[in-house]
Amino acid sequence: METPATRTRISLNPLRPLLRNPVALKELRGRMRGPRAFVVLTCYLIVVGGFTTLLYIAGTAATYNTTGEVDGGTLGRVLFGSVVAIELFLVTFITPAFTAGSISGEHESQTYDLLRTTLLPERQLVFGKLFSALAYVFLLLLAAIPLQSIAFLFGGVDVEEIVISLLVLLATAIFLGNIGVYYSAITHRTLRANIMTYVTILAVILVTTAGAVIALAIVEGLDPSTSSSGSEWVLLVARGIFVCLNPLTTLLSTQQYLVNQQTLFTFKYTFTDGTTTTLPSPWIAFTIFYLLLSVAVFFATTRHLKRIEG
Amino acid sequence: MSIDNPEVMETPNAEAVAEAPILTEVLPELPTVMDEQDLIIETRNLSKRYGRLQAISNLNLQVPRGAIYGFVGPNGAGKTSTMRILTTLMKPSGGEAYISGYSVVTAPREVRRSIGYMPDFFGVYEDMKVWEYLDFFAACYEIPEAQRPGLINDLLELVDLAHRRDDMVDKLSRGMKQRLCLARTLAHDPQVLILDEPASGLDPRARIEIRELLIELAKMGKTIFFSSHILADVNEICTHIGIIEAGQMVAQGPIKAMRQQLMPHRVLVITLLGRMDEAKEALLHVEGILGIVDLPPEDGKIRIKVEFTGEDLRMSEMLQALTSKGIPVVNFAEESSDLEAVFMKATKGIVS
Repeated sequence: METPATRTRISLNPLRPLLRNPVALKELRGRMRGPRAFVVLTCYLIVVGGFTTLLYIAGTAATYNTTGEVDGGTLGRVLFGSVVAIELFLVTFITPAFTAGSISGEHESQTYDLLRTTLLPERQLVFGKLFSALAYVFLLLLAAIPLQSIAFLFGGVDVEEIVISLLVLLATAIFLGNIGVYYSAITHRTLRANIMTYVTILAVILVTTAGAVIALAIVEGLDPSTSSSGSEWVLLVARGIFVCLNPLTTLLSTQQYLVNQQTLFTFKYTFTDGTTTTLPSPWIAFTIFYLLLSVAVFFATTRHLKRIEG
Repeated sequence: MSIDNPEVMETPNAEAVAEAPILTEVLPELPTVMDEQDLIIETRNLSKRYGRLQAISNLNLQVPRGAIYGFVGPNGAGKTSTMRILTTLMKPSGGEAYISGYSVVTAPREVRRSIGYMPDFFGVYEDMKVWEYLDFFAACYEIPEAQRPGLINDLLELVDLAHRRDDMVDKLSRGMKQRLCLARTLAHDPQVLILDEPASGLDPRARIEIRELLIELAKMGKTIFFSSHILADVNEICTHIGIIEAGQMVAQGPIKAMRQQLMPHRVLVITLLGRMDEAKEALLHVEGILGIVDLPPEDGKIRIKVEFTGEDLRMSEMLQALTSKGIPVVNFAEESSDLEAVFMKATKGIVS
């Protein structure tokens, strides 16, 4: 009979150090056992693939250029952008579902006290829960890369764009995962943690979208003769903040700068008085901001779990 | 009341308990505590308050190393609160608590290393295999990966679940889950086991299996501190008991001393074929006799009840006094003062 000892000895798994975390190992075993993991992945690919097909059919009909041929570059970009948008949508919904039950589930299965009386450090518990959930989300994102890559057949999309979109999606997933685990740790109830996580996400999306739109409208409406470059700076930064807080606007404006200015890391902004300035591309600000915020939320979760019932 | 007919204070399992004796013909020998002063669990004026409710007040718990300590009290007396403080899950409102000399407040990691805790619910992950469950907790106790397979096999052997190693946890019966939980508490070889109601909700066979397992573990040198509201359990396997009521320790100590302290009168029933008056006369010369009462005859045989104080030597003297006169004694036995009487005497029935 095969024993766990022989199984571990022959393992050449590069994730070995991560699997030393008992929680990560347990969660991954549980998650990948049975048909659920397979079913979720299949459904996810069917949704993304179905949308891509529909967009392809609609796109080929709509993007005929003046000579009567399909404009490959535009079609490629539309397909790519749509796949990323659908992925973003799904990640936004799937990640909280995977994490909002992580700590509260331990309370519900009455195993939390058992874990607390072991030597398992709180950060390992949080990291293990987060890692196992994000590993699966990452699997979903990787599995959809071939669908993103269909855009290559039509041109108009570079490998860098796929990498950047993946980074933004990943940063989004990491942040949402941390939010889910945080609410799961403070509420003890999975349902309540789910609701609080989705409400928070919805609030972030609404506030950042509205903020970006308003700031943009004000910038567009500026009269060059009356506005000072100082107030324009304020508006530019305000708009930049709102754009960079929202993954969708981040991706859209990154691609806009890429297409219009052919730059990946920076973009040039021309003030109404004619002077220009160079700023970092939104995806950089987005990724850095949300990764830092994720670290902060992670520590807040750990701190909360360290508290002993008084 | 004797061991063969245990009764319970609260009877969620009255039928179960009534069936139990069939399986308990041979009671295992209990371990002995070497040094009553060598305390492995000690609390000093421990208090716990929830808002206006005083759950525990000035509790001084003393559990010597190697003891099987039964922590008895009605529901709501503060047993679980005490255990949650001892297992570092909750902070006390006042007083101190030490396990193996480590304070539960200032050295929780050392305390966690020394204890194995089983709460009053199973706490099992349903979507795991039996060996994975133990592997997970062994890993949580920082046991190196290479040692775990051997350890898991040993633990499963000990709790008699080796044949269920690769089964899913949710396929196990209640008794098996309870034994698996007990195996989990042993993963890091702790000195002290803290078990909250280990026998509650189990069928008679499972209860006896757990009981025998506890005695086995005590023989391996573990100190066992367990709570119960079922006196029959405590009566049979404890070396020490502590009775808690309304957050206060009413009485505690070695079980024999407790019986003597709270029930100083010992009772002897003597069955004779005749010559009752001569027998009474002979017994009155023995020191320590408090009184002799006639009991209704049984199968035509005379029965008398003798109340006395003192050591076993008194009983020997009484038997000698009777036999030296040739009085036909057919039965001569002490009625063991049962724990329930001790308990009823110690507690005032404030809770429950």
